[in-house]
Amino acid sequence: MSATTTTHDHAHDDPAHDHAHHEPGWLYKYIFSTDHKVIGVQYGLSGLLFLLFGFFLMMVMRWTIAYPGVPLPGIEFLSGLPVIGDVVVHWTERWAPGGIVSPDLYNMFGAMHGTIMVFMGIVPLGFAAFGNYVMPLQIGAIDMAFPKLNAWSFWLFFIGGMLMMASFFLPTGAAQTGWTNYSPLATTTHYIVKNTWLTGQTWWLAAMVFVISSSLLGSVNFITTLLNLRARGMTFFRLPFFCWAMLVTSFLLLLAFPPLEVAAILQLFDRVFGSSFFLPSGLIQGGKLLDISGGGSPLLYQHLFWFLAHPEVYVLILPAFAIISDVIPCNARRPLWGYKMMVYSALTLGFLSFLVWAHHMYLTGMGTTMATYFQITTVLISVPSVILLTCLMISLWGGSIRFNTQMLFATAFLPMFGIGGLTGLPLAFSFIDLHLHDTYYVIGHFHYVVAPGTIFALFAGVYHWFPKVTGRFMNDTLGKFHFWPSLLFMNVIFGPMFVQGFSGFHRRWYDGGKAFEATTKDLLWTNELISFGAWGLALAQVFFIVNLWLSIKGGKKVTNDNPWDATTLEWCTPTPPGHGNFITEPVTYRGPYEYSVPGHATDFTPQFDGQASGASAPATAPAVASHH
Amino acid sequence: MANSPEEVAKHVKTYLKVGAALLFLTAVTVWLSYVDFGTHSRNMAIGLTVATFKTSLVVLIFMHMNHERPLIYKFMLFSMLLLGVMFTLFVFVHDDGLIMRGYQAVFGKH
Amino acid sequence: MEIPYTVTARPDTGLWNAKIGVWLFLASEVMLFGGLFSSYIFLRLGADYFWPIHELNVKMGCFNTAVLIGSSVTIVMAWAGVKMRNYKMYFWNLLITILCAFLFLTVKFFEYKSKIEHYGVVLKDGTILLGHQPEEGYRYKFNADSVTLNFKEADPPYFMRFATKPAGEHGGAHDEHGSAPAEILPIETVKFKTESGKETTLAPADFQALKSEAKAAKKDSLKLTPVQPLAFHAKPSKLASHSEKSLAFLDGTLIEGKLVSDKMELHVDVIDTRAAPDADKSMAWAIFKDAGWKKAFDESREEHLKKFNETHPGQDPMKSDHYLREALRFEVHGETPAAHEAKHKEGVGFFDDMPWAEHHYPTVEIEGKDIQRWSNFLPKWNTYYAIYFTITGLHGAHVLAGALVMLYFLVFNSRWFKTDPEHLANRVETGGLFWHFVDLVWIFLFPLLYLL
Repeated sequence: MSATTTTHDHAHDDPAHDHAHHEPGWLYKYIFSTDHKVIGVQYGLSGLLFLLFGFFLMMVMRWTIAYPGVPLPGIEFLSGLPVIGDVVVHWTERWAPGGIVSPDLYNMFGAMHGTIMVFMGIVPLGFAAFGNYVMPLQIGAIDMAFPKLNAWSFWLFFIGGMLMMASFFLPTGAAQTGWTNYSPLATTTHYIVKNTWLTGQTWWLAAMVFVISSSLLGSVNFITTLLNLRARGMTFFRLPFFCWAMLVTSFLLLLAFPPLEVAAILQLFDRVFGSSFFLPSGLIQGGKLLDISGGGSPLLYQHLFWFLAHPEVYVLILPAFAIISDVIPCNARRPLWGYKMMVYSALTLGFLSFLVWAHHMYLTGMGTTMATYFQITTVLISVPSVILLTCLMISLWGGSIRFNTQMLFATAFLPMFGIGGLTGLPLAFSFIDLHLHDTYYVIGHFHYVVAPGTIFALFAGVYHWFPKVTGRFMNDTLGKFHFWPSLLFMNVIFGPMFVQGFSGFHRRWYDGGKAFEATTKDLLWTNELISFGAWGLALAQVFFIVNLWLSIKGGKKVTNDNPWDATTLEWCTPTPPGHGNFITEPVTYRGPYEYSVPGHATDFTPQFDGQASGASAPATAPAVASHH
Repeated sequence: MANSPEEVAKHVKTYLKVGAALLFLTAVTVWLSYVDFGTHSRNMAIGLTVATFKTSLVVLIFMHMNHERPLIYKFMLFSMLLLGVMFTLFVFVHDDGLIMRGYQAVFGKH
Repeated sequence: MEIPYTVTARPDTGLWNAKIGVWLFLASEVMLFGGLFSSYIFLRLGADYFWPIHELNVKMGCFNTAVLIGSSVTIVMAWAGVKMRNYKMYFWNLLITILCAFLFLTVKFFEYKSKIEHYGVVLKDGTILLGHQPEEGYRYKFNADSVTLNFKEADPPYFMRFATKPAGEHGGAHDEHGSAPAEILPIETVKFKTESGKETTLAPADFQALKSEAKAAKKDSLKLTPVQPLAFHAKPSKLASHSEKSLAFLDGTLIEGKLVSDKMELHVDVIDTRAAPDADKSMAWAIFKDAGWKKAFDESREEHLKKFNETHPGQDPMKSDHYLREALRFEVHGETPAAHEAKHKEGVGFFDDMPWAEHHYPTVEIEGKDIQRWSNFLPKWNTYYAIYFTITGLHGAHVLAGALVMLYFLVFNSRWFKTDPEHLANRVETGGLFWHFVDLVWIFLFPLLYLL
């Protein structure tokens, strides 16, 4: 029993305490770092790259929708490149013979576009990157509550992402059954093969298990940090709305993701161990009765999936509201209107989002009682969303607005999200949904919410916090060249989709509806219009990429720790903040949005300003932890 | 919270008693499962009631939920609530009349 | 720089970080296992077959329940030990908890093993025969005239694992315990002739040569003829399809020739006629050559019917799941009807259903055409076994994870007992909370899967 003989000499290598004592090497400082800021940036960069890749997949799909049967441009150029040329030749031979996008390729890119954008792009960027970087700073914490867990969270996500990417190069290609991966199609695709472990469908599921585990670790960390590491004086109602939104998002991830994990595990069992969780009895594939036990239910999959996937919509949108609620007051020089109402709305939104999932399943033949229930909850959930949006709009009232790039994106977010939200209302009713289900109307609706909605908010966040992260500004002129075409082309892309949807254009048509020319011919030209919109949008992003890249080293230097004259705690740290974030222990004296308070010398009074009038002594004074 | 050594010492006996009760209830569950109560649904209802009782012993005594901080109650209540939603709606979405049939299966028709 | 509240509680929340963390994690675990239990209910309500009841080994499950409950007591005692500053109490209780975890997993391993070795066969009329297969398992025996490789996917090691000599050439295959496993021919000893008459094998080097030749000639496939007589004893799960004249392996290889036999040999321990339209006309009675089995079945059914009519007068036995399970699901207890009768009179011993008990069962041969589907008791057999393996597998993974974490505490954190006992108490409490959760999941699993 050696443990009893251990003496005090060994106490110093207590794992919880030792990381403060020595400077970590390069690898541990930038790659395997446990610092929330580095992890935030890691999430941010990988999220941006995934967004770009997901967008690329969509551009290939837009090509075949606009010009079915016409070879993709640029394939020859790519094939001629050194190193990757062979891979391109080999890969296109299988999936796009002669450069013509095959239906299988369209399916694959469609499934992976959705998966990558939602799970690898927007959630890591909005929640994990901004949440990780900004939230601990805003509450005055020196780091997350569990820094090692935080690093684990990123690396699990990274493994999941790499599995998804690698699955493109499997003989069967990546998953091809839509981002929803519905059974039985998803189970029986590439099912009777030599080794089901080596198929894209299976890797999709395995990758999802990694990504889900990563979000679970992340959300536990976020909530604990928000509850236990708030600085002195940072009461719950002095938390910026940003932190509230992150708290609600964390709860959604914590409690909604496990059912999807269940779905992924069960489908994995179906695929590799031949079980029939989601396969009904008597299932016939290709004219042959499958050798399965049956007795399962495809509806079970849909329930488990949508139990996550509806809250997931709010996981996508709440971080956007979080960012906008910081950018708008700061640049309108006005307090956030209805702060408490927004907090309660976000909480209500979070709760209600768990009660509406089956409105994605009206077509499955559910009973009328249940359909009525889900219609009611779905209409109810629009109320808190409208409150959030209205509060942000009213916050602009009477402000002296600075229209810098982040503010342009933030103000554009409001009507864009508004369109996305309002076009969703008709879909809440089962009788309309039966008509519009799986048409471009639905695509237009949710893309207005997440593309010009969430992604604009993410851009606003990048421009807003870039000076704090790097110590340099992004170029405002390039920013405007980024913003205006983006706004224009987003609407060129998604606006016509509503029209297409009403006339019955289906989202899974790889030829854009050419096969049904008799009924679609009047609107086929809109396919081309939308595709041109997509390429225009791609060109606009060049300004962003160039701006981001050049500004890291060559942007105008920040001379003031609080360059935007903002009020929240992250602006009292050094620029960029070092390990441990704050030089002196931060104390909070007031609410988060004291802009243009009458009687003050400046038009902003930061939370950390204890000198200006109106400062109240910290309400809570937790002792600094010292157990030694 | 019961954190001082004296208070903890007082609980030790309770832990042993609860352990014994759990073992006893396990035996009861096994025995009950072989008894024919007329319909199998009744066996289900009885077996799950005993299991729920056992679980609450573990949660309240071993996990100290009989004297925990309000925050923890909030987390757990919220997740239990969502679990309830999931349980019921999964099943009833496609079978509106199931509550009544389940009731009749256990308690008989009136 | 130190993260605050790792040991002491923050005054306003009253909690230290890891305690919040572990409870949040448990909240998420509630949803994970809740999702699985919801799936269980969904599947059970929708099941279109007789849901197995008492089909797992109740004694082993009961033993494991006791092990987990015991370990739940010891882990909370270990925590109390730290709080009371009693090192021995802490150390021994934590150690016993870890040992209990591994004991649980060991028992689980034997339970799984006995299920993997147990097979079920659904006959064309719905009758189900359960039992064990001879060592080699079920094989289609096929004499090959030619082998056609499909170079897109072909993988010779994949199908040559079943290459053997045709029956009669390796003499004495049948002994009294059924057929011995066929002798598998090493891949480099099997010679083939190409269409041009060249002799070759399918060993990796030769196969690569054939493949590049085909590529040069822009051909996707190649037909080979075996030089000596060649047979395949093919595992059905490796086949895409089969007929009287061909076998198609999943790697695209087509074997042409003649099907010798697709008979399955089974040592039957249960005849379940519940799903057959008429138990008296079940296909099982044609498969069992000895008419004594039908008689034994009838006697057992009579016995149960009598009992049912006594206990439930005036009720329709065909509406009682309990009666159907007892009367129409016939358990075989001996190699011959006479042995069965003797065993039945003597009564089934308490440990007779344990994995180490020896059994003798009648051996039958079932024609391939009579088989609807078959599988061992793995997720493939039915949704009950599927959910059983999924939930208990995940639960087992949790047991293992919990045991490893506690082992880490025991080995690396025990020295904190002197230097930082409150921190150690917190760790044990965190691990304990997780462990109790694992225990309470099992408290529901045991009745749902083993008993009800």
